[in-house]
Amino acid sequence: MRRHWPYVALTAVLSVAAAAWAIPQLDDDHGTTHVWVRGDALLGVSLATHVDGLAAQVMLLAVGVGLLVQIYSTAYLGHHPRYRSYALIIVLFLIAMLTVVVADDFFVLLVGWEVMGLCSYLLIGHEWQTTEARSGAAKAFLMTRIADLGLLVGILVIGQTYGTYRISEVLAAGPKNSTAIALLLLIAVVGKSAQFPLHTWLPDAMPGPTPITALIHAATMVAAGVYLIARLLPIFEASELAMTLLAIIAAITMLLGALFALAQTDLKRALAWSTVSQLAFMFAALAAGDRDAATNHLLSHGAFKALLFLGCGCLMHAVGSSSLSAMGGLRRSMPVTFGAMTIGFAALAGVVPTAGFFSKDGVLEALHHAADGSGVLPDVLGEIVFYVALATSLVTAAYATRLWLVAFFGDAKEHDEAPQAMIGPVVALAAASLVLSIGQPFHFGIGLLSTIIAAAGIGMVVWAWRAQGNLDIDAPLLARELDLDAPYARWLPALVGSAARLVVAVDRDGVDVYPRSSATIAQFASRGLDLLQSRNVQRYATVIAAGVALLTAAAVIWT
Amino acid sequence: MPLLYPLVLAAALFGIGLYGVLARRNAVLMLLGVELMLNAANLNLVAFDAWFGDKMHSGQVLTLFTIALAAAEIGLGLAIILTLFRALRTVDVDQVGVDR
Amino acid sequence: MNVTEAVFLLFAIVAVVSALLAMTSHQLVHSALWLVVTLGSVAGCFVVMTAEFVAWVQVLVYVGSVVVLVIFALMMTRQPAAGPSAEVTGNRWAAGALGIVAAVGLGATVTAGFRGERIKGQRIGTARSIGDALFHDWVLGFEILSVVLLAALIGAIVISRSGSEH
Repeated sequence: MRRHWPYVALTAVLSVAAAAWAIPQLDDDHGTTHVWVRGDALLGVSLATHVDGLAAQVMLLAVGVGLLVQIYSTAYLGHHPRYRSYALIIVLFLIAMLTVVVADDFFVLLVGWEVMGLCSYLLIGHEWQTTEARSGAAKAFLMTRIADLGLLVGILVIGQTYGTYRISEVLAAGPKNSTAIALLLLIAVVGKSAQFPLHTWLPDAMPGPTPITALIHAATMVAAGVYLIARLLPIFEASELAMTLLAIIAAITMLLGALFALAQTDLKRALAWSTVSQLAFMFAALAAGDRDAATNHLLSHGAFKALLFLGCGCLMHAVGSSSLSAMGGLRRSMPVTFGAMTIGFAALAGVVPTAGFFSKDGVLEALHHAADGSGVLPDVLGEIVFYVALATSLVTAAYATRLWLVAFFGDAKEHDEAPQAMIGPVVALAAASLVLSIGQPFHFGIGLLSTIIAAAGIGMVVWAWRAQGNLDIDAPLLARELDLDAPYARWLPALVGSAARLVVAVDRDGVDVYPRSSATIAQFASRGLDLLQSRNVQRYATVIAAGVALLTAAAVIWT
Repeated sequence: MPLLYPLVLAAALFGIGLYGVLARRNAVLMLLGVELMLNAANLNLVAFDAWFGDKMHSGQVLTLFTIALAAAEIGLGLAIILTLFRALRTVDVDQVGVDR
Repeated sequence: MNVTEAVFLLFAIVAVVSALLAMTSHQLVHSALWLVVTLGSVAGCFVVMTAEFVAWVQVLVYVGSVVVLVIFALMMTRQPAAGPSAEVTGNRWAAGALGIVAAVGLGATVTAGFRGERIKGQRIGTARSIGDALFHDWVLGFEILSVVLLAALIGAIVISRSGSEH
């Protein structure tokens, strides 16, 4: 244990510093901007920070979850030979996330954004001796990296449009050219937050260590996408196209993710799909123009999803696998984990006293509100997204119940409870999942509706459990996730291949024409010269005679 | 007698000789073409001498010189061709210089 | 047209035809023999132009020695299998074109320059008058020529010998 304390202490110092910075700003709606290093004419990048209430909340979430994950990892991964690099990359990851959150300059934000992509690659590929980890890491990196091009181009467009890269100045200047900017940023966000159609990297990132999954899914990586849109919401709101697209993407993703989560046979993968679905909830709230609802859900989801993943890690620690078939009946032997994860699943399903209920309530209220025509979204779309969200709530409640039942009920199995360092963070997060609900706004009608829907979902699954005795879902297409990965697997190589062939063809038929034609010309010239240098006396004599004849003719004609 | 007769004859012989020099494969016959061209020149010399009536008989004397030089030239030429033949076993001009 | 002109034209026609045959014949020895006819005809032309001495020298030197030398050379350089078509090179079309161009060009030039001029017919080429000219006015050239001939003689011997050593 001695070996681990420097890293935990480092993370703790970072967390305390960030918290000390963030907490005074929690109620500050306008935020305070501080320029540490002013950009000059040569390099227009200012090292500036901007912290408002939103940023403070996300900062606290990030460092809180990060600290808990770091503590958790001492037990979970403490004996790993590469623990040191692992722990330091977590710190770097947190710093990058904090950079993204506090940055007031787009390029500083981009740096944090990319460093996060790098860290996620390194951490997902932590177990690089396995093929899945390697390919999952590469997939996550490539997909987010490609999407990040949208951010880069978007930043350049912002710089061209506003003449500054400072976020606060851009926001103060009001929306300009916002459709192009919003669409470009949307690409980056869709990639980073694993939304349809770039959603496939997140479940494939599961070979990474479970604490990392918790970190990525709850506090950092995917939250950065939500945060970016929340931060730049005025720009998005100015573009109906971008908001419509965001709403459509969110609607598709939330339902797909929930359905995929329902069909999984692997707890961790199911939770991953649940993250995709829940992130889509946040984007739906953002599309409805309600930033508070989105950030509330981000916070509560960060808490309960980190809880669920860390709890999942406890189960894996006990069982040795994340497969649902290996679990079951763990309620008695792992009571603390059971209790904490019950709270987590309840929050996921949206059961009343948990933070998940209130934040989801806020999202639904925002969507309902958007359907009234007060937001940017078209009414019909707002209504559709609202009903999709309700359906997703139903499915979410169902799969949360299913996972809960399959993991903890059934035939009792004897396993040891996880060590203290793992239980501690889980319990803390469970407490947070409950505490975060304090002071949340509440909408009675919507709350009643969502409670009914959640109860229906839970009831259906419990009824099926009672009737069937198991909860195996026979939906191979859903389990294969609709083969949405296949296009990437099939078309991308084909696309790259044909692009490479095109390049080869251009190189061969376009570029090489010049050297080849010059070679041909040289050959022809040498053949022509070769005629003169034939080593054949008669040829020489012929050339001489012809020359004499020509010269004589010329002399006769021109004199 | 019109002066043109020998002159045109000389022109024709010169052309034929030129053809022989440029076209015949055998080196000895190339030399014969040269002789033909020299003879065409001789015809011109004699014809102009006869036409001009030069007291020094320049044309005829130069013709004699030319004949002597032609004899010397053919002697040297044939010596070279014989040496070539000994070295290469051929006197084909388009083989000489190729594929040593 | 008088008899002199007719005889000259006869010799001229014989000279041209035999020259053509000499330059196109596939038999090497035939070429040499046709050349004898050509050179003889030219000698006849010399006679018609009253240059008797030059004509005799032509017959002696060319027909008597040069052509004999050439025939010897042809026989000494006979090649085992030389097909009849192999006697002209691929250069023959260019050579033919150049030959025609040369002949026509020269003919046109002399025609343009000397049309209507006539050779009077006075005797110009007796051995006596040529001898006088040669050893009186041209004696220096004659001596130089003799040196040239000597050099050619020695050169021919040297070239032949050095060739035989290898």
